[in-house]
Amino acid sequence: MQGNQQQAYDRGITIFSPDGRLYQVEYAREAVRRGSASVGVRTADGVVLAADRQTRSPLIEQSSIEKIHAVDDHVGIASAGHVADARQLVDIARRQAQVEQLRYDQPVSVESLTKEITDHIQQYTQTGGARPFGVALLVGGVLDGEPRLFETDPSGTPYEWQAVAIGGGRDDIQSYFEDEYRPEADLAGGIQLALTGLAEAEDEGLDPADVEVATVDVESEQFQTLSQEEVADHAEAADLGGETDE
Amino acid sequence: MSDEVGTPGTRDPYAPELGGFDGLGGDAGTDEDKVVSTGTTTVGISAADGVVVGTDRRASLGGRFVSNKNVVKVEQIHPTAVLTLVGSVGGAQSFIRTLRSEANLYETRRGESMSIDALATLAGNFARGGPFMAIHPILGGVDAEGEHVYSIDPAGGVLEDDYTVTGSGMQLATGTIEGNYDPDMTVEEAGTLAAKAVDAASERDTGSGNGFVLATVTDEGVDVEEFDAVDAAL
Repeated sequence: MQGNQQQAYDRGITIFSPDGRLYQVEYAREAVRRGSASVGVRTADGVVLAADRQTRSPLIEQSSIEKIHAVDDHVGIASAGHVADARQLVDIARRQAQVEQLRYDQPVSVESLTKEITDHIQQYTQTGGARPFGVALLVGGVLDGEPRLFETDPSGTPYEWQAVAIGGGRDDIQSYFEDEYRPEADLAGGIQLALTGLAEAEDEGLDPADVEVATVDVESEQFQTLSQEEVADHAEAADLGGETDE
Repeated sequence: MSDEVGTPGTRDPYAPELGGFDGLGGDAGTDEDKVVSTGTTTVGISAADGVVVGTDRRASLGGRFVSNKNVVKVEQIHPTAVLTLVGSVGGAQSFIRTLRSEANLYETRRGESMSIDALATLAGNFARGGPFMAIHPILGGVDAEGEHVYSIDPAGGVLEDDYTVTGSGMQLATGTIEGNYDPDMTVEEAGTLAAKAVDAASERDTGSGNGFVLATVTDEGVDVEEFDAVDAAL
């Protein structure tokens, strides 16, 4: 009987358990943990987003695995968890960035954009008949010379970070960042920290070809995706180079 | 909360978040003999250390009957910005209330006040999309980028200038400012020039008169002074 009651709390998203938990939101966090990792690093020179996009078959076109998305000229989003859910949130972010231009004739701030997304995610934790988003996002960008990096989680809570990991291996990568993060690092240092962080979650080492990296630097305030060669160069500089490293 | 989950990206960027334009008649206040309008002369002048906005105090029915002699036609809508009431009084008052609440909401949400450029864009969107009728306000304000004076026309046109004049006395007042404007003038000097401009219009325009109101905007805030006669401000 106790067991049946316990089970019922995870049936509806709008039902609290007696100890005040929303099981569907916690299950959504589990869905994020099952995804491959994405990381974000903020440096004084800009923000770095990096994502592991290992493929399940060598025949799949790697470019079709979208984990990092341009949102506006000065903002990008990396995701972990359900890619399809991420696309919906990314589209909301893209629309909101343009609404800000239409409404105020100004680029949207990274903080406002993040909160618009998290407010939307939150609605799905309180609405009957819907399920929460099974995805976490990293929203990174630069506006007025200020680099910002935020995380969204399935409960709809925004967090701001200096360096953060979402998805599989999060705890290992995060504790690595906690040891290795240097606020004074330049953008290249940030990229290398992001790559070595992702490698922490890989037992068999990190293949640079499996990593997608994008930056928004303070000088240009433009979202840019790194080419495979550039990622490989940074991996080599960070002593990763594709070989087993652990 | 309803079962419908709103999609933020589909919000109408041309409408206010609070209230809205739906259900408001598009032809309210078109009969100028029955609707109180400001007639008006309002001037905005950008100075070296701030912005001044000066207005007369008359409300009239089509410029033929003075229906009020004590109108304050410039109101604060933002910590460092003011807007004038020009045209239909009902439309202008509603426009000011709408912009003020949007500016407040923006500031409480984001922890910083809206830039004057953003405020002007928002005002232009509302003027274009809304049922405010014949209004032609001046927006004057100061932000991190400096001093700004905008005219917002009834079709939503937003034009920035060093100085601008709207209302039925605009040609008379513009003539006074033209040639006497200096971008290096202080707010005190600009205030005197604004008073002269409104004075000239009050002499000859039947829609303008009954005194003077001067708003001074600096990076510290807004100060509004009322004068029963324009002479007192000269």
